[in-house]
Amino acid sequence: MFSVESLRVCVGSFALEAFDLTVSKGECHVLLGPSGSGKTTLLRSFLGLLPVQSGTIRLLGRDITAFPIESRGFGYVPQHLGLFPHLCVRDNIAYSAKARNVPIDLFQPVVDGLIEATDIRGLLERMPHTLSGGERQRVGLVRALASQPHLLLLDEPFTALHENLRQELWELMRTLQRKHQLTLLLITHDLREAYALADSITVLLGGRVVQQGSKEEVFSRPKTPEVARFLGVENILQGRILKRDALAWLVDIAGIEIPITAYPPPSNTALEQGDVWVVIRSEEILLASAQTPSASDTPLRGTIRSIHPSYPQWKIEIDVGFRIFASVTRHQVEEMGLNVGSSVQIGWKPQNAQLLRSHQQQSE
Amino acid sequence: MPSTLRRTTITAAFAVLILYGGLILSLGWFLEGAVFRGMLFSERSLFAIRLSLITATISSCMALIIAIPAAYALSRYRFWGSEAINTLLEFPIIVSPAALGAILLMFFSSPLGEWVQAHTVRFVFGFAGILLAQFVTVLGVAVRLLKASFDEIPVEIEVIARTLGATPRYAFFTVVLPLARRGILAAFVLSWAKALGEFGATVTLAGTMAMRTETLPVAIYLRLASADIEGTAALILIMVGIGLCSLYLARRLLQRSVDANRMG
Repeated sequence: MFSVESLRVCVGSFALEAFDLTVSKGECHVLLGPSGSGKTTLLRSFLGLLPVQSGTIRLLGRDITAFPIESRGFGYVPQHLGLFPHLCVRDNIAYSAKARNVPIDLFQPVVDGLIEATDIRGLLERMPHTLSGGERQRVGLVRALASQPHLLLLDEPFTALHENLRQELWELMRTLQRKHQLTLLLITHDLREAYALADSITVLLGGRVVQQGSKEEVFSRPKTPEVARFLGVENILQGRILKRDALAWLVDIAGIEIPITAYPPPSNTALEQGDVWVVIRSEEILLASAQTPSASDTPLRGTIRSIHPSYPQWKIEIDVGFRIFASVTRHQVEEMGLNVGSSVQIGWKPQNAQLLRSHQQQSE
Repeated sequence: MPSTLRRTTITAAFAVLILYGGLILSLGWFLEGAVFRGMLFSERSLFAIRLSLITATISSCMALIIAIPAAYALSRYRFWGSEAINTLLEFPIIVSPAALGAILLMFFSSPLGEWVQAHTVRFVFGFAGILLAQFVTVLGVAVRLLKASFDEIPVEIEVIARTLGATPRYAFFTVVLPLARRGILAAFVLSWAKALGEFGATVTLAGTMAMRTETLPVAIYLRLASADIEGTAALILIMVGIGLCSLYLARRLLQRSVDANRMG
């Protein structure tokens, strides 16, 4: 459907090289990365706003690398500046039909369906400046979809909105995507947005693709400590492999020997010895009072150093010889009587710990 | 209690009013009702008024026809020579109007200028000379004002129009121009006002021939030169009246345009 092969784009000293991507029909692919990771550069090159040094961009099998913007077959919904301020909602939506000289009979049924689905019929005569943020984005979506694009590019379209509204629009986007078999390419730095909408994800860090895969794969199995950090994993512990047997590794973390029955399975020959990173999400840390028999295979004892109330979960910092974070509910904190200085034991299920090499180590 | 900043800045604003208002009012000392009425309805004055209005309107329209595309190009594209053009926009402001007229006069005295006059129209000491002098004076200002206006319109909005199927030209006419409406009106008004008051370049290139190249500023100059103080004061008041009424009307139009942009 949409594919990018060996794309090379330069902006000043910033270069994105050998970028590959495939998005299937009806799929939502997310380009995920922090500011400065190259997401916008890629988007601009897809739109034809930045010259491509080498590589090809294809849509429905056609090489569109050198096509002008209006012939590429993309729809585009940016974060800001979506609607034409001098046109009412109805004229904004009808813009593509007029620009392409499409007969209204062909255009109207599709648009009517979109207007009903997004519940904007009451807004048609309104001017953009009278609309709320959420209404504007819904109109922006309808306008982009009314042009019946083969691929819809969404550049952080919901980031500036209120949390509840965002969730509502994610749901709407998912519904529209399923109903109309839309192919979407979403650009975002927001992990929740990516998780809510993505079928597949490309993680960009510092102008490099560091991981590509299904949403579940990327979120549950980050490939490098850098990806894990970006994906919000708090416990990324540097260690050294002391020993490896058929079932587990013995890893030294800050002088403490910890057996790790971890993923990837021990058949991974790259992890025989040397420095590694042990990666465990804070929500996977099992916490028990020091007296309770442990439910974990690898119990560690430690002392609570600090408690950070947050929403929806609280973060507990525990010193077990090294620093480790656990996420718990407020209810758990009260029930277990957790306080700074309390002794606790921690552990994790084998499948929730990961052993990783850093990107540099993988390159060596 | 009003702040010192408020007091100081409002005082400065009133200083402007006192200066300009005082100057205009001081004309009253020399004004005689009968002379004013006679001047207002004299054939020669009516000619000067008509000539000024016609030439200022034509020259500022001509300036906008060139300035709109030129300003858009300077705002949107980086091309060879764009920096030089940007710098040259202030050329008519840097050189004095008389020098600008002299440059034009020298150009038409050169072989190329003579050829141009022989094959097009006569600029020196003619109606076309007034138009050209005003056009050259206001073009740079018009481009500068319009460029600022186009700079304020985000490129992204054109990109959106193009993803909706618009060609660059269609996006320009349906999105960029309507959004620049206010800037275009402002550029026209200021160009027109500047052309209406243009004297130095006009007098150098087109001369001071009564009932031929006698615009309002030229008429004022001729009255003053012949020591007709009452006539000069009357003509100045006529010119101030026309200019201020037009600018007031334009401000109202601009305000309506702003409201319309907000509404539609």
